[in-house]
Amino acid sequence: MSDVGAFVAEYAAHMMGCGVHTSRVIRCAKRIGEAYGYEVRVSVFQKSIILNVQGGDPQERYNEVTEIPPLPISFAHNAELSALSWETHDDHLPLAEVKERYRRIVQAPAMPPLLMLVLAGLANASFCALFGGDWCSRGIVFVATVAGFFLKQRMTAAHVNHYIVFALSAFVASLCASVSLLFGTTAEIALSTSVLFLVPGVPLINGVIDILEGHMLNGFARLANAALLIVCIAVGLSFTLMLVKDSLL
Amino acid sequence: MIAMDVLSDALFAAVAGMGFGAISCPPRHAFPYIALLAAAGHATRFCLMTFVGVDIAVGSLLASLLIGFGSLWLGRRARTPMTVLYIPALLPMVPGRYAYNMVFSQIMFLHTMNDAHERSMYMDMFFSNAMVTCSVIFMLAVGATLPMFLFPKRAYSITRRRR
Repeated sequence: MSDVGAFVAEYAAHMMGCGVHTSRVIRCAKRIGEAYGYEVRVSVFQKSIILNVQGGDPQERYNEVTEIPPLPISFAHNAELSALSWETHDDHLPLAEVKERYRRIVQAPAMPPLLMLVLAGLANASFCALFGGDWCSRGIVFVATVAGFFLKQRMTAAHVNHYIVFALSAFVASLCASVSLLFGTTAEIALSTSVLFLVPGVPLINGVIDILEGHMLNGFARLANAALLIVCIAVGLSFTLMLVKDSLL
Repeated sequence: MIAMDVLSDALFAAVAGMGFGAISCPPRHAFPYIALLAAAGHATRFCLMTFVGVDIAVGSLLASLLIGFGSLWLGRRARTPMTVLYIPALLPMVPGRYAYNMVFSQIMFLHTMNDAHERSMYMDMFFSNAMVTCSVIFMLAVGATLPMFLFPKRAYSITRRRR
């Protein structure tokens, strides 16, 4: 029982850490417990999980409090760990096998940072196109995004406080985008789209889902987190605007 | 010409969706689905706003409903939770222009405090942009999430292998 309990605790903490909404984490954790004939009860908070596992014998139970690690958001982990819970449930996999698969999923190499950089740049450039920017400003936005995102990757790797990471990246990206003012192109559009790669979409949507599903505390915690990050983006952008506002008017 | 506009809108939305998705490390096989949903959603909103004259909030709601139902249907094929597909697909619809204008008008408001006319102009600009930004983001979140609550059984067992 303690093996299952410890595994479920680690599994649930990892899922919460990589950006899965609360009710899915709870469902998946319960499902794995059920596969081994245990009832799992979890109480999930923003930074920790309290877990209780119970079997047929009322004398025997397992309790654990786990801290949720701050992991980068990973949809791949979300999808594969959810699927793993169903496979455990449907195929009655032995625990050792489930642990092995979990380890493989978690340790699988993430997308190469360089590819991510290029894709983010392209995304923001096409964003600029959607808002009606011309080719010149699309190019500038691409470069600005790559610069901002590169800075974000480096600073995140160096464990800088993530509010500072967001504000600085927004500042650098928008400052690079403000070069468009020199070219007489659609500068406003370039400026406004250059910081959009930072928008914390995952905590925003997860917050709404959590609140709608009744996990109020987690939902508001996520939304507050997203709001703070958005404020940081606004602060970074404001510094650029203050520097260049005379040429914008 | 119109068809070209819609197509280029869809194309750029697809690239934007994939790029924003990439930031959050989706499983590799999910990319085509994300692109498809992002393109369909944004093109729908574009058509609704340009040809039907719907406002941006209602347009976003309808487009995000489409994305939500689409992710319920495609999630089954990709064996990924709905959120994995629809969060990146929604991001190209974030009202970036309005959010930017909000920040810009706030700075200009603080800068023109001593001029009553200019000040109230920027105040007005701030609130109207804030209103649009917040309602569009709210509509996007609600529209895409609604299918999950309408079909909870299907949404919750989406990563289960079909037997």
